[in-house]
Amino acid sequence: MRAFSRKLIHFEFCNLQSTICIEVFLALLLVLEGYTGAWGAVGCDLNDPDRDVARLFSESTGYKTQYVSVDRKGGEPLLTKIEARLGDQFHGIYETIDVPYTIYEIFANKKKIGYIHGVNQKGQFGGIQVFVSLDLEGRIKAFYIQKMTSKYAGKLRDANFGRQFFGLTLKDFELYDVVSGKASGKVDGIKNPAPEAEADFRAALRATKKNLILMDEFVYSSLATSSNPGGAQK
Amino acid sequence: MITTFQVAYKNLLRKRMRSLLTLVGIALSAWVLVSLLGFNNGYETALNKDIDDMGFQLMIMAKGCPYEAATMMLKGGTGLKYMKESIINDVTKEPEVEKTTPILMAAVFDPNKGESGGIAAYFGVEPKSFTQMKTFLTFRQGGWFTDENSYEAVMGYEAAELEQREVGDMILIPEKNVQFKVVGILNRAGTQDDGTIYVPLKTAQKVFSRPDEITTLGIKVKKGIDSTRFEEKMYQLPDVQVVSLAEVKQTIMKLISTAKVMVLSIAMIAILIAMVGVINTILMSVHERFQEIGILKTIGAMPWDIFKLIWIETLILCAIGGVLGIGLALILSKVTGILIRYIMPYAPSGGLILIDLKLVLMTMAAILCIGLLSGLYPAWKAGRIRPLEAIRSEIG
Repeated sequence: MRAFSRKLIHFEFCNLQSTICIEVFLALLLVLEGYTGAWGAVGCDLNDPDRDVARLFSESTGYKTQYVSVDRKGGEPLLTKIEARLGDQFHGIYETIDVPYTIYEIFANKKKIGYIHGVNQKGQFGGIQVFVSLDLEGRIKAFYIQKMTSKYAGKLRDANFGRQFFGLTLKDFELYDVVSGKASGKVDGIKNPAPEAEADFRAALRATKKNLILMDEFVYSSLATSSNPGGAQK
Repeated sequence: MITTFQVAYKNLLRKRMRSLLTLVGIALSAWVLVSLLGFNNGYETALNKDIDDMGFQLMIMAKGCPYEAATMMLKGGTGLKYMKESIINDVTKEPEVEKTTPILMAAVFDPNKGESGGIAAYFGVEPKSFTQMKTFLTFRQGGWFTDENSYEAVMGYEAAELEQREVGDMILIPEKNVQFKVVGILNRAGTQDDGTIYVPLKTAQKVFSRPDEITTLGIKVKKGIDSTRFEEKMYQLPDVQVVSLAEVKQTIMKLISTAKVMVLSIAMIAILIAMVGVINTILMSVHERFQEIGILKTIGAMPWDIFKLIWIETLILCAIGGVLGIGLALILSKVTGILIRYIMPYAPSGGLILIDLKLVLMTMAAILCIGLLSGLYPAWKAGRIRPLEAIRSEIG
């Protein structure tokens, strides 16, 4: 509706010389429109999907977007299950059951080759957005912190830090304790490039584990069930 | 003795279904008309209320300065211009001014927002004067700053959601490396306040190295003031631009007037269709009672008596239809408001349909006038029926 309003305004006022008038009108629209605006939790989308998908999944030729929420997919029982797997509860006023998650299904020509998925995570000084590219088996192919507010954000967003996540799966993160920060196995091998920003480093790991669990519940578990209806899930 | 009115009423009851359908047509036209006129009243009232709720009626800023977050973002946080804080005294001393609130906007580049960085906007405000202007802002958590020199922040709902902040959390202003403690999260207001981070004005001036400077001065003028003249007066201040919300209101009303003309045209067409329906019903009735009218004339009824009888039938139909339509408009005013809100590109908050007694009476008078006009031809035709011709005819 906002886009439509803008077009309409442009059409109506293209002859008006006063740009101030248009800008104030836009401001007022923004001011007043929201009285009837939608209420919903904030999701985590790529800022520029065309550019970012190509960068995070070099062999991709296209992508499709789907939106899933814990609320719609399984409600409270699913939330409880996810929290149990994470080893921590969803907390705060923003990590809620109705958060819409954007899953980018990645294609090479017509063949699906993987997924990109991001989550929001509370950091020390602001929200952190952590994206992972996954192949069809759930292995991390790329790791990307889209947004982070910290003096040391540059180090944690560096490609060298992200490379430490390549090839890891949910299985590797299952042993990572998001509350104490204790890790073992491959996750223990991930080195914090900014020891001063330990809280944000841990937040990035928690976000990655949550991301992988959500993808497992939303995508991989149902794939396993449909390909092997009688078999055990991952 | 039976009156002309009773005869007319009984005549209408003889063809109940036809009379009912005609009534429905009139009622629907009356409904559209009342709703439209009610929309005319309601929209302007609601818009005025919303503009009042915004607090400022005027904003003053340095010439060429972007004054809202969206523009500031589009310009990449550049282009901000500053005025000396002393302008507050120049403006406040004017007798037309009721309240003022100074704002210092600041935009900071954050290289760690997205691939190529992004802009974070901060508004330095004085909570006391600012909240008097923005009375609609309420808190989801916490409250305003405890001190005008404190390093505390209040976040709009969306800003807090994006940054995952709650009361007690810290935020960091990139570039400046200054930390603020979040003391309040606003409820969603549906305004650009949702995406804004507020800090105390004095602290903002210190952090952004703008002592005694502001970017914007919001002004609320006293009631009944000629705002155009006041604006002209404000333009006498050196190097300022004045943004008037009265101008914005006029612009919106101009935009809405196009839609109103379209809906009014539809209402007129509906009324015309109803008029044709009434004429058709009464003409049919006259045609069917051709012999009966002839007999009435032979026993002494004058053309005026017949004219009156038919005219009263029309009047009864229109009066009942009008009352039904107005009732329908009153009952469904909320639904109509929701529908309009859905269709219109922009609608202010509050009731969009305002139906008062004056409007009801005016519509009723209009419907009756239309009814009387519609009844003219059939009544005239009935009055001219020749008794002998009518009795001899085979109709009826």
